[in-house]
Amino acid sequence: MSRHLTAGVDPGASTVKVAIFRSNAGQDAELLASRVQRIRRRDVAQVVRATFDEACAEAGCTDRDFDYIASTGDGDSVGFRTGHFYSMTTHARGALQLCKSARAALDIGALHARGLRMNDVGRVLSHRMTSQCASGSGQFLENIARYLGVPLEDVGALSRQAGTPEKVSSICAVLAETDVINMVSRGIAAPDILKGIHLSIAGRLVQLLRSVGAAGTVVVTGGLSRDEGMVAAIDEVLAEEKNKKKKQHADVTLLAHADGILAGAMGAALLGAYRVQQLAERQAG
Amino acid sequence: MTDSTASDPAAEVLARCLALYEDMSFSRVRRWKEAHPGGLAIGALPIYVPRPLLEAMGCLPVSIFGGGDQLDVIRGDSYFQSYICRIPRSTLELAMGGQLDVLDGMLFPSICDVIRNLGGIWNMLFPERFTAYVDLPQNFDRDIGGRFYTGELRRIAAGLVGRGAKPPSDEELRAAIRRENSRRRVLSELSALRRREPWRLRASEAYLAARAGSVLEAQEHEAWLRELLAALERREARAYDNVRVVVRGAFCEQPPLGLIRTLEAAGCDIVDDDFQLGLHFIEGDIEEDSSIDPWTALSNAYLDRGVATSSRYIGEATKGDALIESVRAAAAEGVIFAAASFCDPALLDQPMLEAALDRQGIPHTSLKYAENSGQFQVIREQAGAFSDAVKLWGSAA
Repeated sequence: MSRHLTAGVDPGASTVKVAIFRSNAGQDAELLASRVQRIRRRDVAQVVRATFDEACAEAGCTDRDFDYIASTGDGDSVGFRTGHFYSMTTHARGALQLCKSARAALDIGALHARGLRMNDVGRVLSHRMTSQCASGSGQFLENIARYLGVPLEDVGALSRQAGTPEKVSSICAVLAETDVINMVSRGIAAPDILKGIHLSIAGRLVQLLRSVGAAGTVVVTGGLSRDEGMVAAIDEVLAEEKNKKKKQHADVTLLAHADGILAGAMGAALLGAYRVQQLAERQAG
Repeated sequence: MTDSTASDPAAEVLARCLALYEDMSFSRVRRWKEAHPGGLAIGALPIYVPRPLLEAMGCLPVSIFGGGDQLDVIRGDSYFQSYICRIPRSTLELAMGGQLDVLDGMLFPSICDVIRNLGGIWNMLFPERFTAYVDLPQNFDRDIGGRFYTGELRRIAAGLVGRGAKPPSDEELRAAIRRENSRRRVLSELSALRRREPWRLRASEAYLAARAGSVLEAQEHEAWLRELLAALERREARAYDNVRVVVRGAFCEQPPLGLIRTLEAAGCDIVDDDFQLGLHFIEGDIEEDSSIDPWTALSNAYLDRGVATSSRYIGEATKGDALIESVRAAAAEGVIFAAASFCDPALLDQPMLEAALDRQGIPHTSLKYAENSGQFQVIREQAGAFSDAVKLWGSAA
């Protein structure tokens, strides 16, 4: 069997992620290159192309060398794709790549968060997403960081320094933002505000995990997987539930991988390789 | 020439179609009436009315699909209970807001109780306007249903003549049938192209092209469609590895364009559908032969070659077989049932159709919409999961 060269391109709401793999139909995969680039009010298709070209340069290949270029997320901005996979499927497959024994993932992106449970080949068995409200998303956290004048990359570390986190509304982003403005005027320290926000989001995310019946290792994927404060807050909420012996607590262990943000792109690339093999077998009859 | 038309030869004609789709003031119909003094513009609710009859009488048939997603319904809501679909409310809203004043009459085909009741309400609200209930036969025997139906057609024609339409001669009716056949052949060509190369013509674009026929005469619509076909041949398009699906259940209240685009963005090539079913309600041509009475030809076409859809009371096995045949003919890999919320005909047939698909191992999923649905995240999630499951695992999610 020849090794498949495939790419996954994942344009999200705030960043574009690209991963390039060589694999045997998605197995024995070797990550050749990866890139993450923020969109920052630029034309998404152009950012996609630039990010892809950078990754190709690192991997030493061009468009024509690929067996499959798979998009996920906003596929329309990847005009050069071979095919598209839905982000839920790609995050499941990506999570499996990051941790072979994982059977669940928590995808926390800029606009939505999603809990999902999958089998040993990455097929999604159940899933649940946050509702329309933005208070469970990265965009919300980004807004809060801006109000506080804190660079986004410092949010996680600051949150972990919190002494007495301030409780915020977990129901609605608008109310939560009002809470934050009040906290700032009351002189509450930024770490305590950020931790409060993290805990608020974490409560919603743990509910998602519980509702999909997640168990064992849960890989955190999406942009917020890089936010150490967020991951710590989820761990804290999980531990609290366990200590309170809540009947339906989510009995899981979180795994925040450094490549968690790439999970969608990785999953797309690997599913692309699987698809190449599948189509070849179909053609061979 | 704009940038988009320079890069996409089909952009200009599709932009024209989109403009008609978005025009809730029916300015095109107003212009037609100015150009045809004395001509009547006759609105028709879905699914099917015999358009050639109207054209032969010098009338412009205007398909009314409700208010879509651009209209706030306030007054229309007071006439229907909350468990009724949206198309009758938004149609009344349009009428009470004056947008349908351009119409000289309205036809209400016998599709379901709701449309029949809408016809009744319409009669009470606008007694001065021509209103007719088109009682399509459910007995498909030519001697029984056929005799009844030709009688219906003549009754409606007489009503229109009473409002100033010209009585149709047999030759004019045959000519109108020829124009309708010709238009529908081009629509069929577009459908064939979509099946062959779905990346060259997306379902959402084909939808707009067909929808332009709501306010255009058959001949003009055909010219637009031919222009589109020619442009599509020059279009540079890239084939994507998508899942080929058939969509069923959207024959009356139409899904918002955003919903069709959402299905496409989820990785689905819609290679067959029943959107705006009236335009392709008859399979094949209506008989044009001068030896056949054209009224009978219209009737025979409806009786013998009407599509197997929910508004026809035919055996469930026939409908199931027809759906499976459509799936096979389009080389589709799955079926998406997309029905308007509270659409009794679509939702009552759906379990039988699902069972037929299950027996053949054809994956399917179902969703509901309203013509004004604006949030598609849930549908995107569902369609994406379905598309991936079919593509990767060969079965529904």
